[in-house]
Amino acid sequence: MKRVQKTMTNLSRLGTGETAHITGIHAPDDVRQRLQAMGLRTGREARVIRCTRLGPMQIRVGSVDLIMRRSDAARVEIAACDTVRIDIATKK
Amino acid sequence: MKRIAIVGMPNTGKSTFFNRLTGSSSRVGNWPGVTVELLSARTILGSDAVEVVDLPGIYDLHGFSDDEQVVRSFLENNAVDQVVMVLNAAQLDHQLPLALQIHKLGMKPVLLANMIDEADQLGIRIDARALSKSLGCPVILMSARNGVGLKEVRETLIDSLQSVHPVKPHVLKAYLHADDELVAHAESLVSEHVSAPSRLVRRMTERIDRVLLHPVLGLPLFFLAMFLVFQAVYTLGAPLQDAVAYLLGLLRGWALEPLASVLPATLYGFLVDGLYDGIGTVASFVPVIILFFFLMAVVEDSGYLARAAYLTDALMARLGLDGRGFVMLLMGFGCNVPALMGTRVMRSRSLRLLSMLVIPFSLCSARLQVFIFITTALFTPQQAPVILFFMYMASFCAAFLTALLFGKRLKSDEPFVLELPPYRMPVLFQVLMRGWHEISHFLKRASTFIITGVVLVWWLTHYPEGSMPGGAGTYASMVGEWLKPVLDPIGISSMMSVVLLIGFVAKEIVIGAIVAMTGLQGAALNGYLVTQMDSIQAISFMLFILLYTPCLSTLATQLSESRSWKFTGVSIAWSLSLAWLVSFGFYQGARLLGY
Repeated sequence: MKRVQKTMTNLSRLGTGETAHITGIHAPDDVRQRLQAMGLRTGREARVIRCTRLGPMQIRVGSVDLIMRRSDAARVEIAACDTVRIDIATKK
Repeated sequence: MKRIAIVGMPNTGKSTFFNRLTGSSSRVGNWPGVTVELLSARTILGSDAVEVVDLPGIYDLHGFSDDEQVVRSFLENNAVDQVVMVLNAAQLDHQLPLALQIHKLGMKPVLLANMIDEADQLGIRIDARALSKSLGCPVILMSARNGVGLKEVRETLIDSLQSVHPVKPHVLKAYLHADDELVAHAESLVSEHVSAPSRLVRRMTERIDRVLLHPVLGLPLFFLAMFLVFQAVYTLGAPLQDAVAYLLGLLRGWALEPLASVLPATLYGFLVDGLYDGIGTVASFVPVIILFFFLMAVVEDSGYLARAAYLTDALMARLGLDGRGFVMLLMGFGCNVPALMGTRVMRSRSLRLLSMLVIPFSLCSARLQVFIFITTALFTPQQAPVILFFMYMASFCAAFLTALLFGKRLKSDEPFVLELPPYRMPVLFQVLMRGWHEISHFLKRASTFIITGVVLVWWLTHYPEGSMPGGAGTYASMVGEWLKPVLDPIGISSMMSVVLLIGFVAKEIVIGAIVAMTGLQGAALNGYLVTQMDSIQAISFMLFILLYTPCLSTLATQLSESRSWKFTGVSIAWSLSLAWLVSFGFYQGARLLGY
């Protein structure tokens, strides 16, 4: 199964309940290292559990729940939603 | 003596395990980064005495936060015979890379998959034996909370300490970039030896979060919860406090007075009316403080603090702080010192400095003592909790104002990413340990600061000889006269100004100082206070106490954590000016309005 990535977007664009695969992190080295160590790594699946207009987002990666600001979530590049949905469907 | 170091990610129950293994008390909180000082304790394993060191929780050995540097430099500079890593059994996919980092350094860690009860409930099954074989180091399933698996842990540690495999610091320095490989390795290990449902469901946590993190109701509920905590401290604490005061009074009447009556009058006055009553009045607040810390420990251990960070981040972001800063502010309600140390989890220096500038405005338990004392004396039981709540609000406002004013100079681009732990039932054992920890801390302070302060105030208010105790002609009244131009406009009498001066050292002394100064206690003391200040003056006095420098320990911590005299100086100057301006504004404003 080959993943088709038509467009790139970032984690902050996802809404509650949406899921996507992480394709990269765009941040200075030290920030990227921190985000990676907390579980935001390329290839992992991230799911938005909760988000409000002003406050931070709650993201689930693997077994870990994180809260992060939208501006930080914007640093996490993901494969666009529609492709990922197909991705999950074909996986099963 | 052999040395064991405990490492692990934040929130894996390292400190709980540490307490279980050593029986000693360290702070435990369901919040990333609570254990900030290096705690160590001695214990017996087999026939050897072993030193156990609890290192701060870290995500990564290569990280850039202060905590991560602390762990790295500890391992680089200290001989460690055995590294024990505590992992959250429910998050092995997330945590094994760190274990592999440690393993790769040749430390041969003993891995403890903690919270196995929680993992069990989530339907996660771990084949510990196979995992141990693949890794080449012991893996033990345990639950430090319930004591499951601890016997096996002890046996394994006794075993592994026989064959020495010390950490080689130079390897640690040499080794840096191989993370991606480790992650891949960790993933293959997890997929082989851990079976987990494809999507984890924490039903209970999710159900609670739906209410407590509700977009509209979340914040009001949070403030309600805090209000209830403080209300509980007041209503439950007051009778306990009376009980202790009553017992101390009995002891005085039955034993101390007859025994001391042989002494000359001055010495009797000093020992009984000064020292005993001074310290006794302070001691009567111990139950309130313990109660406060019990309740804070419950809030902390439950996992609610991380939710508080989530709820308040939007507000804090505008002030140039983040949700963690708010949580540290809350921790500061217990004691400012650990809260200041807690800012070590922040990587950006300006964010840290701003948080450290704001934290001293948190109404700590020592100030709470003073406020309870004064509100009880001068206000009705109905008014007192309201005044107390008003003080908490003033504390928040001062913090926010400070952040607003200084935030522009201390900007940061630190990412705000925080782990959200599931809710956990606080364990009685931990809560009790925590309470004990605080009492011993209090007694330590009592033995130095408070006694010295009480003695000093007694001397200032009773000498030179022949002057009326606590009245005109004493050294205290001279100091008071000297401070009059500054403190008169905010409605603080000259006798009270001496108390303020002494309170600079520690707020725990304030009440003891008032007692030593007047030689009065209980109802008589309350009566005296009424002659010293009316309700407006009392509030002005409390506002000043709230806002000016909390204590010398806080200052010392600010200095050692910031390593900057300039920063500490700015902090002192700012808190003193703010205290004076707010008291002045309040006092003169209220008088103008005719109160």
